[in-house]
Amino acid sequence: MKRIAARTLYTLIVLLLSSIAVFYAIRLSGGDAVSARLPASASYEEREEFRELLGLNDPVHEQYFRYMGRLLTFDLGKSLTNNADIFDMLTEHGKNSLVLGAAAFGLVFVIGVPLGILAAVRRNSWADGSVMTFSVAGMAVPNFWLALLTVWLFASTLGWLPSAGCCSTKQLILPAVVLAMEGIALTVRMTRSAMLENLGQDFVRTLRAGGLSEASIIGKHVLRNAMVPIISLAGLRIGQIVGYALVVETIFGWPGLGQVLVNAVLRRDYPVAQFFSLVLIAIVVLSNWAADVGYTVANPRLRKA
Amino acid sequence: MSTSAAPAATNGSTGAPVLSVRNLHTAVATPEGAFDVVRDVSFDIQPNEVLCLVGESGCGKTITALSIMRLLPTPPVRITSGEIVFDGSDLTQMPARRVRDVRSERISMIFQDPLTSLDPVFTVGQVMTEVIRTHRDATKAEARDMSVDILRAVGLPAPEERFDSYPHELSGGMRQRVMIATALVLDPEILIADEPTTALDVTVQAQILERLRQEQQDRHMSMLLITHDLAVVASIADRVAVMYAGEIVEEAPVDELFSNPRHPYTQGLLRALPHASRKRRELVPIPGLVPPMQMMPPGCRFAPRCPHALEQCWTDHPPHAVEAGVGFRCFNPQPF
Repeated sequence: MKRIAARTLYTLIVLLLSSIAVFYAIRLSGGDAVSARLPASASYEEREEFRELLGLNDPVHEQYFRYMGRLLTFDLGKSLTNNADIFDMLTEHGKNSLVLGAAAFGLVFVIGVPLGILAAVRRNSWADGSVMTFSVAGMAVPNFWLALLTVWLFASTLGWLPSAGCCSTKQLILPAVVLAMEGIALTVRMTRSAMLENLGQDFVRTLRAGGLSEASIIGKHVLRNAMVPIISLAGLRIGQIVGYALVVETIFGWPGLGQVLVNAVLRRDYPVAQFFSLVLIAIVVLSNWAADVGYTVANPRLRKA
Repeated sequence: MSTSAAPAATNGSTGAPVLSVRNLHTAVATPEGAFDVVRDVSFDIQPNEVLCLVGESGCGKTITALSIMRLLPTPPVRITSGEIVFDGSDLTQMPARRVRDVRSERISMIFQDPLTSLDPVFTVGQVMTEVIRTHRDATKAEARDMSVDILRAVGLPAPEERFDSYPHELSGGMRQRVMIATALVLDPEILIADEPTTALDVTVQAQILERLRQEQQDRHMSMLLITHDLAVVASIADRVAVMYAGEIVEEAPVDELFSNPRHPYTQGLLRALPHASRKRRELVPIPGLVPPMQMMPPGCRFAPRCPHALEQCWTDHPPHAVEAGVGFRCFNPQPF
């Protein structure tokens, strides 16, 4: 319990610090929101007037406190480029990202864990060899290249799947697989090594001496022990998926949070960019927090510590 | 202390043994070839008796026990020849499924380190219940009652609460009691205990040994106790088999072994033992080391360290001789 409380406090501090960092970074990144919004023919006076209106001439810390104050009252503001309500953008694009992210996250475990178990149980067999080769490839291949490769193969050449768009199941498959690939590769390795490590533990011999079946020993006892590190790193997989979503959503034209953020940064749309950065950061930080809690729950040795 | 009521005889002259190991060879495969870690080992366990398997670490005691339970880490270790006869069947030839039925239900085993030998993410009760329900048609409530009863019987305080404890919540002695309870819950005919007290505090050791002895007598169970501690042997054994470098070099009733050891290795072990009645007598270590398995001498494996070695001992392997109920492998036994 103490451990969870400490992690929660730590999580809140990280969120606060990252909100400051995001706020400054966007303002220091060069370019100007005003030129994105006003036509090129706008006069200096018009520009200054607009800057005043947005409060962009105030010291950055004042802008920060004003912004955070509004954020706490759920006043998210509007986009500078198209005047869209940011809350509406969040719900609309968030839903798409959630579908894609959840699909990728599910694939990581639904594919990664069974392959890892297979590799561990059939250690040094051809099955183990193929799974581990696949895993190395999955980690080595950059996802933007994998994205282009899969589009070329499954969309252009074979014509089995659409190359881009949203939001049918067929359109979901390619981006979800690409997004999940590195997580699958890592989960396979981790599952395999955690299974092998636990298969060599003394308690396995005790369970065998108890006459339990291999199915129960491997599928229940060893797996449950092996899941401790896998669950604790599941949060990191979420973080990874969120990070890669920027690239993958852009390539596959999947209108999610990542794509919105990339466009907002390119157009110096401060309110949109900083809010969606914060959202993505919050997801990563909170998923790490959830991982910590999950680790504590999965590992009885930590529950009372 | 010991109940030496059984006639001083070895090799099954008192009727049917419950377990009979015959010419067991167990080998480990290495890059340099396969080596016997257990070589030509034979012994019987009689009903109701405690047989102690004694020897220094690495002499093959544990491998012998794991061979009986078919728990060898195969590969690289496997039984290469011999028989282990239990209830008319040869355990070495039994299909894995039938071996699982024997384990725990008929032959149980407890291990040295109770800290690492219990599954850390399941409670005591979850594992005990699973063991019971693997072998018997019992409801969860019945399995719980059986478990709590046996936990209480082996002297675990507050067994109802301990049933829901995780191993890390228990002390070393309590964990060992849990392991004993799990091993005994199905009332097996044989309990194999591999150094069950080595990892425990001295005060707890005595309690655990006493408990094992008590359960063995109450249940009319046979026990194969593996230890390197001759004090343990003296307090609990009916019969003793001394192992050296993978072989049984001497096997005798416990009183006979302590008073009249035949084999020079047994004699050396006893001379290295502090003894209350022989105050200030110097302890005599056995010179030299056990040869590594790649360099086993062709003759007697103890010859390089033996004070009485003859020329023959270096060239010929001593066969198993029996004299007045004592079995030993030595060409030149000397009075102790």
